[in-house]
Amino acid sequence: MLSPTADRPTDELIVHTAVQFARALRLYGLSTSIDSEHVFLRALTEIDMRDAGAMYWAGHAAFVKSPDQIETYQVVFDRLWRGYPLVPGVRGSEHGESDARMGGGAHHGGEALPQFGGKGTEKVALDGDRTRAHADLPNADGEDATSNQKDGILVAWSAAEDLTETQAMKYQQDELSALRLLAEEIKRASPERNSRRQHASACGHRFDVRRTLRGSMATDGEAFRLSYTGPRPVPRRMLFICDVSGSMERYSRVLLASLKVAVGASRKAEAFVFATGLTRLTKSLDGRDFERALEKARATIPDWSGGTRIGGALAEFNRTYARRGFSRGAIVLVVSDGWDRGDPDILAGEVRRLQLQARRLIWINPRPMEVDKQPLAIGMRAAMPFIDEFVPGHDPRAIAGMAKLIGGLNTARPMRRSVPVAAPSA
Amino acid sequence: MLGYDSIEELRAALTQQRYLVDDGLGTVVFLALKLRRPLLLEGEPGVGKTELAKALAACSGAPLIRLQCYEGIDVHSALYDWDYPRQLLQLRAGGTTELYSSEFLLRRPLMEALAQPGAVLLIDELDRADDEFEAFLLEFLSEFQVTIPEVGVYKAETPPIVIITSNRTRDLHEALKRRCLYHWIEHPDLQRELAIVSARLPHIGQNLASQVCSFVQDLRWLDLYRSPGVGETLDWIEGFHALGRQSLDAQTADRTLGVLLKERDDLERIRSQGLEGLIARSQQPQQPKQPQPGWQGGVG
Repeated sequence: MLSPTADRPTDELIVHTAVQFARALRLYGLSTSIDSEHVFLRALTEIDMRDAGAMYWAGHAAFVKSPDQIETYQVVFDRLWRGYPLVPGVRGSEHGESDARMGGGAHHGGEALPQFGGKGTEKVALDGDRTRAHADLPNADGEDATSNQKDGILVAWSAAEDLTETQAMKYQQDELSALRLLAEEIKRASPERNSRRQHASACGHRFDVRRTLRGSMATDGEAFRLSYTGPRPVPRRMLFICDVSGSMERYSRVLLASLKVAVGASRKAEAFVFATGLTRLTKSLDGRDFERALEKARATIPDWSGGTRIGGALAEFNRTYARRGFSRGAIVLVVSDGWDRGDPDILAGEVRRLQLQARRLIWINPRPMEVDKQPLAIGMRAAMPFIDEFVPGHDPRAIAGMAKLIGGLNTARPMRRSVPVAAPSA
Repeated sequence: MLGYDSIEELRAALTQQRYLVDDGLGTVVFLALKLRRPLLLEGEPGVGKTELAKALAACSGAPLIRLQCYEGIDVHSALYDWDYPRQLLQLRAGGTTELYSSEFLLRRPLMEALAQPGAVLLIDELDRADDEFEAFLLEFLSEFQVTIPEVGVYKAETPPIVIITSNRTRDLHEALKRRCLYHWIEHPDLQRELAIVSARLPHIGQNLASQVCSFVQDLRWLDLYRSPGVGETLDWIEGFHALGRQSLDAQTADRTLGVLLKERDDLERIRSQGLEGLIARSQQPQQPKQPQPGWQGGVG
C-alpha cells in the first residue's frame, strides 16, 4: 500500500496504470472497454487510492459484469496492487521480473501504482502476449496446443488415441453439406411460442385503442375500422445437451459440428456438452469461421472423451443454468448413450427435475434398444420414466437423419403422469 | 438529492434505515451516486437487492418509483401512454387542442422518474423483460432522457438514482451492462446476517437469532437447489417468534421448515439427514467457512 506520506501519483501514471489494468483484464477474458476504463478513472477520483479495499471495489464496479468474472478480477487486482507484472510469464519468468523490481528497492505490497506504471516494457509485453494467446488457440494440426489442454484428469487417457481424435476434426465435404441441410431444417422447424408482447393482428383478440384512434383521425374522429392486437410468436428455446464422454467418442466429432450449426441456426439455441462435468458451448461456438469456432469450442471442453457422470452433469445444469431459467419452457434434447458411472438414483432425480422445467424432454440414444439381448444401460433405464420422447438407435453421425428428426420434432406439451420417485439420498 | 462525502457517511445513513451494507456494496453505491451511473445488482433471490432501493429512497426522503418488469412490458406501460378516451372525446367535440400534446400524455414510471428530481427509480427483475425492452432502456440509462416521437425529447434536470435488479434468468445485454456499475450481492456471513436480523427484528431474542443464523449458514453449504436467503431467515425467525419459541428446537424447525426451504427435494434431504443432528452441529463454535468477497490482502 502507499504509505500515507507518499505523494499522490501523477495523473498520467494513474491513467496509464488503469489502462494497463483494463488490458490485462481483457486478456483474461473480461470484456472491458474504454467506457469502463473511464468509469474506473472517475471512480478513482472519488475514493481514497491508498485504500486497497476501496480500489478493489471501484475496479470491481467498473470492470466486472458477471459473478463468474469475480475470481479472475481478484487475481489480476492482486497482481496490480502488489506491483507484479499483470501478465505473468511473458518475458522471462515471473520471479525474474519481480526480483528486478525488488532490486529497485520496493517490497511486497509496496508502492504498487508507481512501480507498475514505471515499467516501460509492460505495453510491449502485453501486446506480445496477445499474439501468443491467439497462437494458443488450437487448430486442426496443432497437437502441441491441444496437448496442453489435456493436462489434469485426462493424462491417464491414451495419448495416441487423443492424437488421432484431434486430427480427425477435419470435416469432409459431404459432411459439410449435410450440416448445411441440418441448419436449414432447424431454421424451418424452429419451434415457437407466443410471447406476452402484442402486435397488430387481424385475427387478434385484444382491442387496440391506440391504432383505432389513429385510424379514426382520417374519418373525423369516427372509428370505422377497429384494430386488434394478438400475441407475437417468438422462437422457443432449444437446449442441446450432448454426451462427449469416452463411450460416445465415435459421435462426438459430428455432434460438435451439429451443435455449432444448431447454435447458428436459431437465436434461442443453447449448447452444452458433458463427460465428467458440464461445459456450456453456446458462446465458444459463436462466430462465422466454422472450423475455428469448432476448435475453440473443442478447446474449452476439459473432459473430452473422459468418463461419464450424467447425473452429476445434469445436476450441475439444474443447479446453475436451470435455476436461471435456461430450461423453462424449452425443448430439451439430450444426446447420450446413458452409460453412467454415477448413481442411477441421482441420474433419475436430475432427469425428472429437468423434465419438470422443460416443455418437452427428448433423449436421443445412439445405442439401439436391447440389441444383441443387451439391456439398456442402467443409467438409461433409470432416466426412462422421465423422458417425453425416446429416440433409440439413432446414429448421430448420420447428420441427415438428425435433420429429419429435428424437422419432425413434436413440440407440443406432452401428457405426463406423475412418477413416484425415491427421495434423493443425502 | 443524496449527497454523501464519504462511504462511511452513506453506510451510516443506510444503517439508520436498517439496511446494512458491506464494504463492496457500500463503495459501489457511493460511486453510483457520485458518478450518476445506474447500478445493476445481481444475486441470489432474497439477498436484499430490492430492499437497497427502498432504503436509499428512505434515506433521502425521495419518492421510490418502481418499475416491475415482466415479459411483454413495453413503452406504454413503462414510459408513457396517451389518454385515449380523452383524446377521443376531444376529437368528437371538435376541440382545438393538439391531440398529441403533453395534456393528453400519461406518465408511466420511467417518465415519472425523470419528472421528479432526485427520485430513486427501481427497475426490478429486468431479466424478465425481453431483449427489445432492454434495448429501449439504453437511451434512458445513458442520457436520462427519452424521446417521444410526437412531442420531442424529455430530459431530466436532476437524473434519478437508478437501481436495476436481475435474477439472472437470462444474461443481460452487454450494451446495457456497459452503462451500469455492477455488483453481485453474496449471501451475508454469519456476523453480518446476525446484524441484519437484529436491525430488522429488534424484538427477537439474541439466542434465537444466533441459533437460526448459524443453522441457515450451515444450510447454505449443503448445495441445496434453492439456498435460503436473508429474507427467508427473517421469515423463519418471525415464525418461531409467532409460535412463542425462544430457541431453535428440532420439532418446531421440522414443522416450519417450509418457511425456509421451498423445494421438495431440499426438504426431503434435510429431513433425511436428521434435523436434530444438523441443528446440534450448527450450534458448535466454528471457523467461518465462507471466503468473504473482497480483497483479502494477506495472500502470499
